[in-house]
Amino acid sequence: MHKGHYISGTAHLALLGWMAFGDVFAAEPLPFQATDVSVISSAQFDALMAAQQAPQSVTEVAQPAAPEAVVDTPQPPVPDTETELVQPDPAVTPEAETPPDVSQITPLPPPADVSDQAPVLDQPSADIAVLVPEVADTPVPQAAERVAPEAVQPPDPEALPDPVEQEAVAPDAQGETLQEPSDATAPEAAATEIVTEAEQPARAPDTSLRPPARRPEAPVQTAAAAPQVPATDDAVDAAVEEAVAAAQTPAPVPQGPPLTGGEKDALRVAVSSCWNVGSLSTDALATTVVVQVSMMPDGKPVNGSIRMASSSGGSDAAARQAFEAARRAIIRCGSRGFDLPPEKYGQWQEIEMTFNPERMRIK
Amino acid sequence: MRFQTAIGIAALVLYVLGAGWAQAQSSGPLRIEITEGVIEPLPFALPVFEAETGDAGSYAGQISQVIAADLTGTGLFREIAPSAFISGVSSFAAPIQFADWKAINAQALVTGAVSVQGNRLNVKFRLYDVFSGAEMGSGLQFTGTTDGWRRMAHKVADAVYSRITGEGGYFDSRVVYVSETGAKDSRQKRLAIMDYDGANVQYLTDSSSIVLAPRFSPDGQRVLYTSYETGFPRIYVLDVGSVQRRVLESQEGTMSFAPRFAPDGRTIVYSLSQGGNTDIYAMNINGGGVTRLTSAPSIETAPSFSPDGSQIVFESDRSGSQQLYVMPARGGEARRISFGPGRYGTPVWSPRGDLVAFTKQNAGRFHIGVMRLDGSEERLLTASFLDEGPTWAPNGRVIMFTRETQGAQGRSTLYSVDITGRNLRPVRTPEGGSDPSWSPLQP
Repeated sequence: MHKGHYISGTAHLALLGWMAFGDVFAAEPLPFQATDVSVISSAQFDALMAAQQAPQSVTEVAQPAAPEAVVDTPQPPVPDTETELVQPDPAVTPEAETPPDVSQITPLPPPADVSDQAPVLDQPSADIAVLVPEVADTPVPQAAERVAPEAVQPPDPEALPDPVEQEAVAPDAQGETLQEPSDATAPEAAATEIVTEAEQPARAPDTSLRPPARRPEAPVQTAAAAPQVPATDDAVDAAVEEAVAAAQTPAPVPQGPPLTGGEKDALRVAVSSCWNVGSLSTDALATTVVVQVSMMPDGKPVNGSIRMASSSGGSDAAARQAFEAARRAIIRCGSRGFDLPPEKYGQWQEIEMTFNPERMRIK
Repeated sequence: MRFQTAIGIAALVLYVLGAGWAQAQSSGPLRIEITEGVIEPLPFALPVFEAETGDAGSYAGQISQVIAADLTGTGLFREIAPSAFISGVSSFAAPIQFADWKAINAQALVTGAVSVQGNRLNVKFRLYDVFSGAEMGSGLQFTGTTDGWRRMAHKVADAVYSRITGEGGYFDSRVVYVSETGAKDSRQKRLAIMDYDGANVQYLTDSSSIVLAPRFSPDGQRVLYTSYETGFPRIYVLDVGSVQRRVLESQEGTMSFAPRFAPDGRTIVYSLSQGGNTDIYAMNINGGGVTRLTSAPSIETAPSFSPDGSQIVFESDRSGSQQLYVMPARGGEARRISFGPGRYGTPVWSPRGDLVAFTKQNAGRFHIGVMRLDGSEERLLTASFLDEGPTWAPNGRVIMFTRETQGAQGRSTLYSVDITGRNLRPVRTPEGGSDPSWSPLQP
């Protein structure tokens, strides 16, 4: 009955005893710093104090003794003693080398059997797809275009530098149409300015593209069933007329979006490279002409359509010279077709070029 | 409700306006502006002119060569070698195969024919713009004596040059200059006249006395020059055709030099040095009154008339250093036009009236340069040990001058340069040459 009380009392006593004698409440000693103190004797203390006293002034200063005059008598130079020439030993002629013994040399191994047949490689399994990152992680330095570290081979001497690119035409005895031979020409590799490697943008993107979000697939548009119309003579006639009309009307000109700045710049650079103002008079160099030209879908100008829309800054004669130079530029560089996007033909079917030679006057 | 209606109408109006603007944008032609071109010689083809008569073959070859040399010498044209021709021109009247000439990138094509009857020479030519497939201008024909075949070649070259560039030609012109032989300390000088390209040199004086600074009259028939024949510098006028000369009147004890004709051909301006002071005077060449145009204590010299005869440009050191000034032709207040560092001298007014050519000395070097009449757009064309004495080609686009090399064996040579500073080239003379003066185009 009192067993629980005994157990509880014993436990409490044990706990109280452990708390009293078990260093439970003993505080940790506070940290302190000890410093060594040296003990000195009184004699040492006196000596120490004496050293700290101010020095007594001394009135008499010992004068330095006058330096003794030393007569520097130069010693007569010692005559050089002749050094005996050491005769070099006569060169020892090497003994004639004995010819190496070639009897021990084994003959070369027979040449390896080389076959012209390429080894047949196993076709890789089509199931394994190798993902190649399209863009390098780090910027890849590009080779500078203009200044190469080492000389490159000269271009084909047959190709004469010319803005108009054309292939060489060689006489062909078997051909039916007789074509006169001509030299191949190619435009000179040149740029309007030197772009160093440092100025070119790296190909690696600065930021990665955001992954595309999941979108529901667009619903497939299905055409509604055409109403069944009984075939009558009128309907047939109408269909025939429509087909004939469609055949007669020309194909619609693709309009497309407006030309980008880059596409316009390409056209501008192409015409500029053939616009030779070197032979223009000073009056013509002060004349701005506006030239209109119609273009064919293949990018070639219609030569007969080149006309001067307006001119400013010079006399009629000067305007005519300036227009002729502009016309030569359009025809020469357009003979192979300008690089214009065919899907935007409607945008460049008619081109109006303003030739302004203001910056070319003094160069 | 009314508010919503108003908003709807405004939106509709904006939509219509925007659509109209977009339509206007897309319907017009593509517009680009080209401000950068290239400066390179224009390639031309010149097949040897056809010899229409049997004895015209040598003339045809020589005339073709001179025309090609004239055009190439301007630096504005480049001749395509005949070996590159695909098809020749069989006959002057035959149709041109433009595709063949286009294929070798000939932008201009000159065809011609030469015929000789007795000592009469007949030269005709046509000029084609190859890439437009059309003739530039119409054909021209010149007739003269066989002796003047060079002049007729120059005439053809002038016409071709003028039609392509729009500038006047200058090939059919002559240059009078001082021909020099011997070392610098014992140099023999005599007047000589030649074609602009150095051909047909003829001597007008002997080398017994020093001659200086010949100047053509506006009609190219007479030459003014300074000679030390009497020990003092005096001005002479010489008829080029008859080689007759006479001295112009001058006061005793004075020195007259640096003469130049006025555009009227009757008045001359020159410098007269008297008592240590040099001023500019004008005089009627047929014996008239002398007019003093400047009266400053400084040195005024090297006068040159404007083409309209209303003004004179000259050099003066009145400001302390040698500079260029412009004053009215009858004298009066002068306006300084040169302000750069260094010293400016020997100004010559361009025949077109827009520029003044001059000699400039700066930092130990000599330059030939041009500037506008207000002193702007100064452009130095050359630089060497000694360049001096510019003279203008009749079209005002080319300048000829004297270049002297350094040292005791230094030699004077004539050079020509385009006013852009390009195409600097020596003019071939049989001996050394200095002080050139370019004639006007010959009739």
